[in-house]
This record gives sequence, structure tokens and C-alpha cells, in this order.
Amino acid sequence: MPLEDAIDTPEAIAGPIDLRAEFAAAGIEEMLAELDRELIGLAPVKTRIREIASLLLIERIRRKMGLSGALPTLHMCFTGNPGTGKTTVALRMAGILHRLGLLRRGHLVSVTRDDLVGQYIGHTAPKTKEILKKAMGGVLFIDEAYYLYRPENERDYGQEAIEILLQVMESQRDDLVVILAGYGERMDRFFDSNPGFRSRIAHHIDFPDYGDDELLALAELMLQGQNYRFKPEARDAFVRYIARRKAQPRFANARSIRNALDRVRLRHANRLVSDPDRLLSAEDVVSIEASDILASRVFA
Amino acid sequence: MNEQIVTTVRGKDRYKAGVMEYKRMGYWEPDYTPKDTDVIALFRVTPQDGVDPIEASAAVAGESSTATWTVVWTDRLTAAEKYRAKCYRVDPVPNGPGQYFAYIAYDLDLFEAGSIANLSASIIGNVFGFKPLKALRLEDMRFPVAYVKTFQGPATGIVVERERLDKFGRPLLGATVKPKLGLSGRNYGRVVYEALKGGLDFTKDDENINSQPFMHWRERFLYCMEAVNKAQAASGEIKGSYLNVTAATMEEMYERAEFAKELGSVIVMIDLVIGYTAIQSMAKWARRNDMILHLHRAGHSTYTRQKSHGVSFRVIAKWMRLAGVDHIHAGTVVGKLEGDPFTTRGYYDVCREDFNPTNLEHGIFFDQPWASLNKLMPVASGGIHAGQMHQLIDLLGEDVVLQFGGGTIGHPMGIAAGATANRVALEAMILARNEGRNILEEGPEILAQAANHCTPLKAAIDVWKDVSFNYQSTDTPDFSPAVSVSM
Amino acid sequence: MRITQGCFSFLPDLTDGQISRQVQYCLDKGWAVNIEFTDDPHPRNTFWDMWGLPMFDLPDAAGVMMELAECRRVYADRYIRLSAFDSGHGWESVKISFLVNRPKEEPGFRLHREEAAGRALRYTTTAYAADRPEGRRYEG
Repeated sequence: MPLEDAIDTPEAIAGPIDLRAEFAAAGIEEMLAELDRELIGLAPVKTRIREIASLLLIERIRRKMGLSGALPTLHMCFTGNPGTGKTTVALRMAGILHRLGLLRRGHLVSVTRDDLVGQYIGHTAPKTKEILKKAMGGVLFIDEAYYLYRPENERDYGQEAIEILLQVMESQRDDLVVILAGYGERMDRFFDSNPGFRSRIAHHIDFPDYGDDELLALAELMLQGQNYRFKPEARDAFVRYIARRKAQPRFANARSIRNALDRVRLRHANRLVSDPDRLLSAEDVVSIEASDILASRVFA
Repeated sequence: MNEQIVTTVRGKDRYKAGVMEYKRMGYWEPDYTPKDTDVIALFRVTPQDGVDPIEASAAVAGESSTATWTVVWTDRLTAAEKYRAKCYRVDPVPNGPGQYFAYIAYDLDLFEAGSIANLSASIIGNVFGFKPLKALRLEDMRFPVAYVKTFQGPATGIVVERERLDKFGRPLLGATVKPKLGLSGRNYGRVVYEALKGGLDFTKDDENINSQPFMHWRERFLYCMEAVNKAQAASGEIKGSYLNVTAATMEEMYERAEFAKELGSVIVMIDLVIGYTAIQSMAKWARRNDMILHLHRAGHSTYTRQKSHGVSFRVIAKWMRLAGVDHIHAGTVVGKLEGDPFTTRGYYDVCREDFNPTNLEHGIFFDQPWASLNKLMPVASGGIHAGQMHQLIDLLGEDVVLQFGGGTIGHPMGIAAGATANRVALEAMILARNEGRNILEEGPEILAQAANHCTPLKAAIDVWKDVSFNYQSTDTPDFSPAVSVSM
Repeated sequence: MRITQGCFSFLPDLTDGQISRQVQYCLDKGWAVNIEFTDDPHPRNTFWDMWGLPMFDLPDAAGVMMELAECRRVYADRYIRLSAFDSGHGWESVKISFLVNRPKEEPGFRLHREEAAGRALRYTTTAYAADRPEGRRYEG
């Protein structure tokens, strides 16, 4: 797509606009339905995304009618605990913005402080620019963005990265969208000391922790994707697993569930192999039993 | 066709004195699978009325390898089975009554390494006058990698030529100086200067500009190089003029080439009529002396044009890539000279690709690996003009020299203006193509837009807008579904 | 005088929109785009100075345009060209190159002729600008 044509240029349109057709043409409904289908829970997040998508669609129509010239600010902030789906949703968001014609390519470049900030004088600017160049046309997702700012060290190179980011977020709004992500409170403190960021962020989305039911549904979806399933007793065991695991430190929502399932599969395989004389059925190789779960340290 | 039952005579009966059918002497081997190291030739055979096509094809195999008209006992002193060329397939030509495609495999040991003279003496040496045939045409050849690697290949090649000229991303532009005969050296140089200053990359001597009473070769070289250098300083670009070094003897050609080198020319030129050995000698000279070698295919139409008899140009193109020239005229499709679009596409692929897959619709009968031999720059020349730029780029791509002789020198505002018109049209079209526009459809519009800031282009389009050469092509692919008229 | 090196020098200077479309064409082909600058435009001056490394693996032209803007800011009075490199076997060289910046005044080249034996001439081309020290060649 030619660079300057990617962003719709205002053209005065006289007649009424068919909203449904606009929606369909942008493929937004399809994207949102996919989001609903494939992401468990996250109800408030989905609502926010739908709101943002609607806003941007109307913005687009207004620009077509010549009612609004400026491009909307699209930079966002995703807050929430680890494993609550921020990266996944950022990926979807990149797709939605691409469909709406607000991003030319719609890819996602995911980074942390180490990718942006250098170790010595003159190292940071080229590093940050390198990442920005790769992110152009898509979304730059900065996880745990507050690590960019280290107030305890006056000469921290993070400040240089922040300045470059702020400048690009302002001057190249049609070239890329920045999504900052991290824990809610720390993000708030970060914005307090860096008001430049706060003013450039248009949308905040808070990602709540998953409920127990959602975590179970998530687990079953993940297993299904890998062609496994819980036996009924195993399912019960996993419900208990979730309750215990949440009470332990470093619980990271979906990520912890994924890791737990990886270990469950290990134990499942180990159980089958330890009995070499038996004849394996298809049922055996797909079924997770309660013992595969109960052997976890969580129950120790 | 290939099911005919022929009993090959073997053992000592095979060598009994007398005359025997070629197909029974072992030159027809329908069960033979060509080896990876075999040279393969495809002939179009038109037997005399009443002659069995398989016998005719076997005779071609025989006469182009070990056979003579009668059995000779001295065959028994050799590994005759190995040296015998083997016709292994004969197909009737689609829509070509009385014509047959004969596939013949030759053992690699039949050929001298790196010698087009030896190769052609074997394959087309004797057999084309053979009485039982009405006509014979060498359609295509497959060279094994082992043989390809014994040739130098293009002295410079497309990539290095572009690097030396510092010109990338667009076809190169040239023009042949006109009138081709009669200009004095001083007048000739004027045409070169105007054309190069106006925006062409190259000018070119015509095939029959050598050393005549109106202009001896040294005069031409001196004035051309003055023009080249002056144009280079005026534009900041590297320029060249193909100085034709074709002469009566090798010694004279070397002398002329050396003088061109002394004067700082980047390119010299030879004609196909100097012969394969002379061409290979000049290719080696060009490699030694950092010189681009342009070949004008003078004379080829005497044997390439008619479909029933001679040698296809695709074979000549293959030989010339092996022989080592850097430029070869390969047709324009849209211009004034013979050129079916599909067949021409086949020639271009032979010149420029590292591997040619079999493509019957383009007249390519065999997979041909080129084993990293340099690429040969095709040249499109003859009756083309700026108004066809979109068609030319669409058909011929960007690794090609587009030569607008009349289309430069015949421009109503002068030679430099003609050159500028061509260059602007070319750059505008490449710019548009790269932007993703459909140049074939939007071409005339793109040219018209470019002409808004370039009066010479506007004039060129006005003068030549109705010129086209729509004649039936004579050399068309046998497997093409349709279209054989030039666009 | 207007130097006509590069692919598009006979057209009016390209706009940033046109440049970025050419860059996108190159990126979509998987070529690495390189920014080079010089104040010696001699036709055989092959090695212009590189503005950083060739840019590999960029999806979008805006990244190149960002660097180009920076290069132009620093070297506004020099020739700047973009070139795209194809690493594919059998090419492994530049696929396209075009000027994207030129000095305001282009004084052109002197053609020096030295008479040699016979009527032969030895030619030398020098940029008038190259008479001045490097870095100050196109200052007003």
C-alpha cells in the first residue's frame, strides 16, 4: 500500500453512510468476533476494544465526510498483572488498526527496556531508533515500560530512550502506535514522573485477573489446541490446583496455567512410558488423569 | 511413432561390409535414457516424401556423429557404442504435417572442451545438406553442467556491467548511429555526443561500420571517445559507445580493440559473422581487459528465421552465452524485426536466467542449468520508440538494453531531445511500475503525465504515436496456444 | 548543471511520498536499503560514505524515511542516494539506486585533455567542487 494513501485522506461525501457496510468493509466485526471466540474472559477488555474500534470507525467516517481532519491519537496503555493477555490483545489491536486503515502493516514489535536502552554513552539512541524503524507501520509494544525510568540514577540512559519515544509518538502518529504495558500501580507512578507519556496516551485498558472459572476454561482451550483433554476426575483436580496455585507467590494468570499444563503433559507421558507392556489406545494418549495433576508440588 | 519395431543389428553382423539402415546401426535407441552428462539436441526433421521419419532421424544422429553412408570396419577399433549419437525419441510436430521432432543424445566425449567451433561442427557440420531430408532445423540443445563449466561465459555479465556503469534498476538506453554509412568521423562523433549528452547510456556502431573510405576506424574511435568523455563530464554519468572492432583478420581486430582500450572505452563490439572462434577469442580478450563485449547478430536471420530449416536463434543464444559475449540482440517483439512474443521470451530467459526450466510454449525444450555462468544482457533494437515504453518494460523486464536508433536520431527537435524523451519515458515508467501501477494499462497516461514536464517526450509521442509493425511472425512456438502476431 | 546519476535523475526531484513508495517496493522485495552521501560526485566514485549500515528486515518505508530525514538534516549540502541490495544468489549486488538529495548549486565537471602520441587524447574528469577541501565543497 503506498505510504501516503494508507491513511484515508478526507474527501467530502454528501450522501448518508451505511454504517453496517462500513463495519463490514473494515472487517472489524469479524475481528471482534474472533477476539470473543478465542480469548476466554477479559469481558471489560473486550468491551473497551469494541468501544475503541467503534470510535475509530466513526472517526474514519467523519473524516470521509470532511468533518475532522486530524488523525486520532492511538497510543495506548495496557495495565494488569502478568499473564492477563496484554500481549495477545496488543497483537489483535494491531490487526484491528490495520483493518481500519490506521496502520499500514499491522505487525507487532514487542520489546522491554533492554531492547531500547544501551550500556554506554551513544549506545541508546541507535538502539531505540533501530527498534522504532522495525516497528514503523505497526505496533511497538513496550512491556513493563516503567523500567525505562530510573529516578534513582540521574544519568540513566533510559531517559534518552524516553525522549526519542516521546518525540516519535508525537511526530509520527500515522507511522506507528505505541502500547505501554505493565502493572497498574507502577504504570501510574511512571506517568506521574513522565507526564509527557500520559498526555500522548489516548486509551487505557485495564486487564483484570482471570476468575477461577476462566482459568479452567483457558486450560481446557489450551489442551484442546494440543489434542488433549481432562478426564472428569482430572478436571476436578485441576479446579483444586487453580485454587492452590493462586494462593502461592508469583502467580501469573494464563502464563502459570500454560506452564502447569506443560508439566502435566510431562507427567502424563512419563506415566505412559513407565508401563511399557500395556497396549496404548488413542484414548490413553489424549486423556489427562487426575494423578497427572495431583503429583504437582502445589499439592505437597 | 516411437513404438515402431526396429531390430538393431548387433555383434559382428553389424559390421558386415555394405549399406545398412541408420536405424538398424544403433542410431535409433528408443529405450535409451539420456545421461546427465549427455549433450542433447532437438531437430525438426522434414524427410523427403516416402522416407521413414525414424530412419531420417536416425540418419541425422548418425551423420552428426560417427556414421558415414556405408559400414566401415574401422568402427570396431573404437568404443563405437559410446560415440554413436542416439536418437531416442521422434514426435510428429503439432500442426506441422510432414515434420518430426527428433531428440538425439551425444556422449560428452564427442566434444572438445570449451569450443563452440567443435560443438557446431559436430551438430550442424554436415547433416543439413543430407539428401533424404527436405529440410532440417536445430531447434534446441541441452548442455550438461560438465560441459557448461568448460566455457568462460560472458566476459563481464549483467551484474558486473551494471556495477561498472553504476546504473541499476532500469533498462539501459542506447542508439545506433544513423545513417549507418557515409558519415565522416567528425560528423559521427557529433551524433554520439548529442545522444549521450541527451541521456542515453550507450551509442552503437552499426554492423557494417568497420573501416571504409568515408571513415577509417581510428577516426571513428577518436571522435567517439571525445564525445563519450565530453558527455560523461556533462552528465556526471558513465557513458559508452560500442566501437565495432570487426575486421578481416584476428590481428586487425586485436589492434582495434587495443586502441579502444587505450582510449578508455568501456565497451567494444563484434559481429556474429566473424565466426565462433573469433568470437571466443574476443570474449577472452574482453575478460582480460575489463571490457564489455557487445555482439551484433549480423547475418543470423539467414538461418534462424525460417521454421523448417536452419538453426533456431535460441540455440545461437545458448552458444553465445557459452562463448562469452556480454550483449546480444535478442528481439523486441514490438519493433520492426521478426519476433514472436513467446519465442522472444524464451531467448531472453536463455540469456538471463541461471536455470531454464522446460517451457514448450516459449520454445524451450529442455531444462538447462547454467551453473552460475554470467548472465548475458539482451539488447532490443529495431523500430522501437518512446511511446512503446510500457510495453517494452512489461515484455522485456529491466535487464535489457533498449536501443532507439531512429527513435532518438529522428526526433523532430534533434538528437539530444530524442535521447531525453527516451530517458524520461523510461524513468517515469520504472517509477510507476515500482509504485505498483499497472503500466500496461496505464502506460499511455503515465507517458502523457511525464510529457507535461518534458517537451521532447511530448513531441516524440506526437510524431510516432501511430507507428507499429503488425506482421505475422514466421518463427513461432509449436506449442503456443494462440497469439503469434506482434503487439 | 544537473548530475544524472541514479535511476530517476531525469524526472523532477522526487517528493518524500514518491521516495517512500520506491523504498517500500524495495522492502517488499526483501532488499536491504542503504543511505549513502558524498561531496565528490565523480562518476567513478563508487564508495560514497554510508549513513549507518544497510537497513535489513524493515517492514515499512517509514523507518528508512526517518533515517533519511536525519541524514538530510546533517548533510543537506551533499549528494545523498538510496540504494537497495539484493543478496539473492546470482545477483548479490545493488538492484536500484537513486538520488534523494543534491546540493543547491551543482558546478559540474572539468574535462581535462592531455595530448598523447598520434592524435590520441587522455581524458581526466574532475568535479569542480572537489577543488575545495572535503566537507566544505558545496558551502555557499
